[in-house]
Amino acid sequence: MRTIFRVLALCLCVLLVAGVASAEDKKIKAGFIYVGPVGDLGWSHAHDLGRKFAESKLPWLESVFIESVPEADSARIIDRFIQEEKCDVVFTASFGYMDDTIKAGMKYPDKHFMHCSGFKQSKNVGTYFADLYQMYYLNGIMAGALTKSDKIGYVGAFPIPEVVRHIDAFALGAKATNPDAKVHVRWIYAWVGPDKAKEAAESLIAAGCDALAFTEDTPAVIEVGQEHSEKGKQIYTFGHYSPMQAYGVDSVVSGQLVDWGVMYVKILQSLYDGTWTKDDLYWLAAEDAAILGGDFDNIINPKFVADLKAAKVKTADFGEISTYDLVIKRYEQMKKGADVFEPFSGPINDNTGALKIKKGAKASKGDLLSIMYYVDNVVGSIPK
Amino acid sequence: MEDLIVSVAQRTLIAGTPLLIGTIGEVICERSGILNLGVEGVMSIGAVAAFVVTFYTQNLWLGLMAAVLAGMLISIIHAVASVSLQSNQVVSGLALTMLGLGISSLAGKPYVGKSLTEKMNTVAIPFLSDIPILGKILFVQSPFFYMAIVLALAAWFILEHTELGIKIRSTGENPKATEAQGINVSLIRYGCILVGGGFSGMAGANLSISYSKLWIEGMTAGRGWIVIALTIFALWNPMRAMIGAFLFGGIFVMQYLLQPLGISPSLLAMLPYMATLLVLVMIGIKDSKKLNAPAMLGEPYKRGER
Repeated sequence: MRTIFRVLALCLCVLLVAGVASAEDKKIKAGFIYVGPVGDLGWSHAHDLGRKFAESKLPWLESVFIESVPEADSARIIDRFIQEEKCDVVFTASFGYMDDTIKAGMKYPDKHFMHCSGFKQSKNVGTYFADLYQMYYLNGIMAGALTKSDKIGYVGAFPIPEVVRHIDAFALGAKATNPDAKVHVRWIYAWVGPDKAKEAAESLIAAGCDALAFTEDTPAVIEVGQEHSEKGKQIYTFGHYSPMQAYGVDSVVSGQLVDWGVMYVKILQSLYDGTWTKDDLYWLAAEDAAILGGDFDNIINPKFVADLKAAKVKTADFGEISTYDLVIKRYEQMKKGADVFEPFSGPINDNTGALKIKKGAKASKGDLLSIMYYVDNVVGSIPK
Repeated sequence: MEDLIVSVAQRTLIAGTPLLIGTIGEVICERSGILNLGVEGVMSIGAVAAFVVTFYTQNLWLGLMAAVLAGMLISIIHAVASVSLQSNQVVSGLALTMLGLGISSLAGKPYVGKSLTEKMNTVAIPFLSDIPILGKILFVQSPFFYMAIVLALAAWFILEHTELGIKIRSTGENPKATEAQGINVSLIRYGCILVGGGFSGMAGANLSISYSKLWIEGMTAGRGWIVIALTIFALWNPMRAMIGAFLFGGIFVMQYLLQPLGISPSLLAMLPYMATLLVLVMIGIKDSKKLNAPAMLGEPYKRGER
């Protein structure tokens, strides 16, 4: 009998110690909702790299994710993350999840939510975004210098402010080196649609474009550019979101890259420390969230460096310099801070001739987040 | 202008090829009286099989063979369910689609973003490709295009002009009478389902080793459903399937070509289904026998039942 009591007492002690230990050992569980497959090589892939980075940096973090969640279906997944997975914070990484995330915030007042790329916050719902429009501007500088047909193409996912802002920034960049170049746009109405992106790229090339940028989460446009370049018709392409230079060594000039990892670490650390606020996090090149390059090792594909160095351009602040130097200098300015060089500096007209940003003025963050007009060297109109 | 026409026509044929290959298979299958709604799933299985085998062997033809075999193997599920167990063909077909899409993305996970060293490139047919304009359009194409045309002609000939074709067709029209002739209805239907699956697998291979050389999840992107619509649009005839497939392919290409003119791509994307609805309405109005629809399509056949 005494031995049994001893064993019981020992067990209780062990349980007590374990209980105390777990109370001290604070953990955070984060759920991530992605709109595409994590293998899309674009948006969702980049977010998942960020999640993995955060998990490797933060020992107290546990994370789960669900991929390919349609934008209308996130409420169900949020419920599952909170109720079954017992997540403390849920990251909803697509614009269309916005209203469901706000609703979830009301439904679960003691949990935190972070919505990516939206503009609605509440007590426990914050927003975050790493925007790449500066990188699109830099790519536009290169596209303008390299194009021989003065026709530049852009394959867009959906006509929403984010993509329109990128098209405009790209067009403004092209205008800086080539005032005659026009940007032609095709919409594919899909974030992940390699076949559509491919057809759209082919139709742009058929229309005479020889430089292509895009917003679509696969290297489909790059593949088209590489194919044509191999056959002897040089098509310049600019990678999007993930390192894509390997898919088009003869075609990719540069591109935009994103690092969500630094951002996720900051957000999760603030939750852990209790310093979290709902304030919008809007990160650009200065925060190291937006990075220029076709992959993380090359800002500009070495194959095209000589061409860019040979192309001279007149600028107001640097005088006459090579396009290559202009890209590097502007990139350095952007890294110093968003206010050092703003691509959207007036005067800027839309393509119907209306003045949108006055001479000497700069676009505000609000202007940029709601932009829904084409600047004057983009062809056509935004579909309704 | 000439370049533009050639480019558009070439793209149309490229976009229509996987549709045509899939449709030939579905026509054969439906002519024997079996509705197979699993095309989308079987196509994805074919796509992943072709990609993985090509990835390791560097041999595109082995990849193609693997796709055809995989398509046939997975279709056995539908054959057992619809022929041996006489279950509802709509349900087992849909199950096949879901299963196929699932298996394909699971098996393809390690290859996401990986690229083949080479894809099935275009082959220019000597002499014929020198014909101005038409030569460039018709005779500088991927081997899949040539195979699709030959297979469509062969399928048409076999179905309409051979004894085997009569057996297949009568199985779809009146299995009881066919059985009375001493023909094994189950065997014919099994065969047609497997051949149909092989075609779907080949259509998938077309996408993963010829249309693109990158593995991307969900590359079939609803083409399996267009194939089912096309089968009706073509009124169960492989020759008409050729016209239909390239018409639907053309619509896909036109989506981006006509966009600058203000024509919504969503509207054009809708057209294949609209056209199919129109054909269905026509079938409803006209005498359906004249329109070739197999009379016993989708009806399970129980041997010896009166």
